[in-house]
Amino acid sequence: MEALLDYAWLVVVLPLASAVAITAFGKNLPWKGSELGIASLAISWVLSVLIAYQTFIMSPMEEPVEFSYEWAPMGSEFVFELGMLVDGLTAVMLLLVTTVSLMVHIYSREYMHGEKRFTYFFAMLSLFTFSMLLLVIANNLVQAVVGWELVGVCSYLLIGFYWEEKSNQDAANKAFLTTKFADIGLIVGVVVLSAGMFGLDTSTPFNIREINAAATAGELSTTTVVLGMLMIFLGCMAKSGQMPLHVWLPDAMAGPTPVSALIHAATMVTAGVFVLARLFPVLAQSLVVMNVIAVVGVITLFFGGLLALVQDDIKKVLAYSTVSQLGYMVAAIGVGGYTASVFHLFTHGFFKALLFLGAGSLIHAVHSNNMSDMGGMAKAMPYTFVTFIIGTLALAGFPLTAGFFSKDEILIAGEIWAGAGFATGHLVYWVGIAAAFVTTFYMARACFLIFAGESRSHHPPHESGKQMVGPLVVLAVLSIASGYIFSPVWTAEQNFETWTETEFITEETVYPFAADADDAAEDQGEAVGTPGGIQGDGVLAAGSEPSVLAAAEDGELTVLHGAPTWHFDLLALLLVVFFAAVGVAWKFYGKGPPDRDPTMQMGRVTTVLVNKYGFDEFGYRFIVVPVRDTMSRAASYSSNVLIDGAVSGVGRMTKNAAFATYRVLDQKVIDGGVNGAAFSAAWWSERLKRTQSGNVQRYAAALVAGTIVLVVAFAAAT
Amino acid sequence: MSLVGPLLLATFLFCVGIYGVIARRNAVLVLISVELMLNAVNINLVAFQNLLFPDELAVSGLMFALFIIGVAAAEVGVGLAIVFNMFRNRASVNVDDVDLMRW
Amino acid sequence: MTGLDVVFVLVALFTAGAAVLTVTSKNLVHAALSLAATLAGTAGVFLVLHADFLALVQLVVNVGAVAVLFLFGLMLTRAPIGREALDSQNRGLGLAVAGGLFVLLSGLIIAAFGTTTVEQVTGASIEVIGIAIFADWVLPFELLSMLLLAALIGAIMLARRETGESGEEAMVTRIDVGDTPTTEGGVRAELENTTPAGQLGAGGDR
Repeated sequence: MEALLDYAWLVVVLPLASAVAITAFGKNLPWKGSELGIASLAISWVLSVLIAYQTFIMSPMEEPVEFSYEWAPMGSEFVFELGMLVDGLTAVMLLLVTTVSLMVHIYSREYMHGEKRFTYFFAMLSLFTFSMLLLVIANNLVQAVVGWELVGVCSYLLIGFYWEEKSNQDAANKAFLTTKFADIGLIVGVVVLSAGMFGLDTSTPFNIREINAAATAGELSTTTVVLGMLMIFLGCMAKSGQMPLHVWLPDAMAGPTPVSALIHAATMVTAGVFVLARLFPVLAQSLVVMNVIAVVGVITLFFGGLLALVQDDIKKVLAYSTVSQLGYMVAAIGVGGYTASVFHLFTHGFFKALLFLGAGSLIHAVHSNNMSDMGGMAKAMPYTFVTFIIGTLALAGFPLTAGFFSKDEILIAGEIWAGAGFATGHLVYWVGIAAAFVTTFYMARACFLIFAGESRSHHPPHESGKQMVGPLVVLAVLSIASGYIFSPVWTAEQNFETWTETEFITEETVYPFAADADDAAEDQGEAVGTPGGIQGDGVLAAGSEPSVLAAAEDGELTVLHGAPTWHFDLLALLLVVFFAAVGVAWKFYGKGPPDRDPTMQMGRVTTVLVNKYGFDEFGYRFIVVPVRDTMSRAASYSSNVLIDGAVSGVGRMTKNAAFATYRVLDQKVIDGGVNGAAFSAAWWSERLKRTQSGNVQRYAAALVAGTIVLVVAFAAAT
Repeated sequence: MSLVGPLLLATFLFCVGIYGVIARRNAVLVLISVELMLNAVNINLVAFQNLLFPDELAVSGLMFALFIIGVAAAEVGVGLAIVFNMFRNRASVNVDDVDLMRW
Repeated sequence: MTGLDVVFVLVALFTAGAAVLTVTSKNLVHAALSLAATLAGTAGVFLVLHADFLALVQLVVNVGAVAVLFLFGLMLTRAPIGREALDSQNRGLGLAVAGGLFVLLSGLIIAAFGTTTVEQVTGASIEVIGIAIFADWVLPFELLSMLLLAALIGAIMLARRETGESGEEAMVTRIDVGDTPTTEGGVRAELENTTPAGQLGAGGDR
């Protein structure tokens, strides 16, 4: 079994082979090439499962499997390699990518049936998967950049799949250019890191393991770490849709829905988080980098979620929710929640793919993206309905779903970080809880609009076929099951954390700045809340197991937090948040018949509270009759104005804040900045184009004149 | 004999050729100016060969001059053919009329 | 200042003067003839430099063939003689660039070779040149023949009239190109009126 790890490259190569084969003779096959894509992905998936199982039972892996051959030796130390690096982190990503991609392949057979570029679509899907796998398995940064850029190109091609419409072309261009802009940062960051590696005892400056080793050993200078990682983070910001570079994500909905699922769950947006996780030992060297990452993540997770509130397009709701969830992952990285971030990446991949494929099923049925055209779909599409609700619950972090375990892990990570005395930990914890409210609210709203009430569709809705429902069911099961691998009910010997341990992130790994700051804080006696001393227990974690609070044991903050335990205080808080959000959503959107919608049953507590007739009845019978004139008015006032006002005020404020964010931040500031850049480019080109007169003789004169200037300049220089 | 004389003459011819290439409108005259520049180079080559390296057995300078004459003949042939083509298509041989490649 | 220098200065003055005439003449034919004079002057310079063989090649190829080719070129394109300005608006630009380059290059040359003089000018004999061509330079020489062949075919392909159909190429030899240079339609109309001399093959792509 162990020898299997040496063949991990097969997982990567198979989708490439199928992409080539589909392009070459896909059109002549009975299934128009889709069977090649599905078959190759199925083999890749089986291999990935075996690899994942192998790495899991071997975990924690002492030594990753690395294998490479020299692709372009360019001198003593300067070698471009093509290689693979298989450890737990790689295995997790391989499993995630191949699973989601396989589901999307199967789903697309029915969803894309009858499209005129059916074969092209499958070739692109396979190529897209290959690109992401190439990035995931890379053992050096150059190969990672190659995979990264290939992912960008494939996403461009697939977002613009319906290129006959101008808006789709524009969306594809926007996605490509936005990510491309940030890719400059990535490349600069890679160059900076590699430049810092020169002179050290390495085989090639690009090798990820050696970079991590050098960073852990403290051989990289602070400038290299800070500048390099901030630049790489810029690349990750665009790829993983962090504010303010998330703008391409909602527009990327122009592509076919399976593509959206693939982009949002497995192949595109996860790339940034993966790279951050891969280089976590480097970025963990600098508090500055981690703070920047945490703040960006927090901003994204909250404001990204707010934007989802005002969308009517179901796919845009999901797109903004992806932005928000990616914010969680990035913020987790920024507060030292390495395991939590990867774990959320893992579970989020399944339930977001489920939600998108479910949305595709709905869109397939009603031929419209808008929730205002849906309604009452629960009866017509039972499978889609149930799976979609499961995905929603997982996304909202409802207890005992996968999203619950992973999202709570992030919040706990923030708590531990705060307990160690870093302010960003508090930020992640509290804003994370607030955003959980927002998430639940907009997903509940979407569910009410889609499934409750009467059908508003112009087409009679019908359940999708087996090939679409099948992946939904599989993903729904995974959306719940995948969370248990890192939960209190799982064994402590081998769990998700030991699985994703690498040779540089082990139980003993600590943060260098934390150790330094600890000593400094002891000398100066710094206060809690400032980055510095590690003081006592967490904020809310006082009652929890001490093993969870790694910081509390010996005063040292370790990267890994140990096996998870129950945090009933957080659980209770999140449950309250969940029901409050669903209740508020019902107040606004749940106007359909309540006995048809099971979601509304859960909101009954809230519903009764905000029901003013119940309050009036009570007041009339027991208070108004005795003290008619004064108390009835007060009761009416309290129920009508105070309670209703408070409830709808909260809702309205949230809505207005969301609208304001959307109008000012998203439309004006960010879009304005982008447009401004484009306009200034147009303005300058209008003037500069005059030099291109088309007069050959002027070109010749300029050529000679330039030569003269060059000669004079060189003569003057020497 | 002084070396600087032939070199200065070659420089002068070359610059006159450049002036012709830039300033003349008629495409045939532009080709003529190019011919002037090629000749200037030949003078340079011959002057260096015969005045500075007279004993070289491979006579590289003279050989290069010969090859340049040959290549120049080929260039004139193709160049004039292009000018004919342009004349037929646009009824003009003025190079400033041919500005399709502008903005 | 030896006697050779004096002869060189005279020849050089002739050549330079002819060159200036070539690029300033208002008359196209005069310009082409001035080019011939310049080329002949260059041949003289070669003679002064004791490159007899090269001088002869220069006379035969450049003065004899190329200059005549240019005259034919001027004739076939029916260039306006003296009626139209032969200089473009880039004249000042050209003057500045060429002048600047001349100042730069002559400064460099005088700085580098200003004092170099040679007592005895010797040129390679034709025997040496012949051995050099067919011993050291035989491969470039053969390549040159290929180049000339390619240029020959290329020039024919470029210059012959396009009709789009194979076998209807009889007009190649007709020098009526430019008889009606006014509009494209004129040429087209003329084409349609002309009966092809021979139908060698029917249709087909070239």
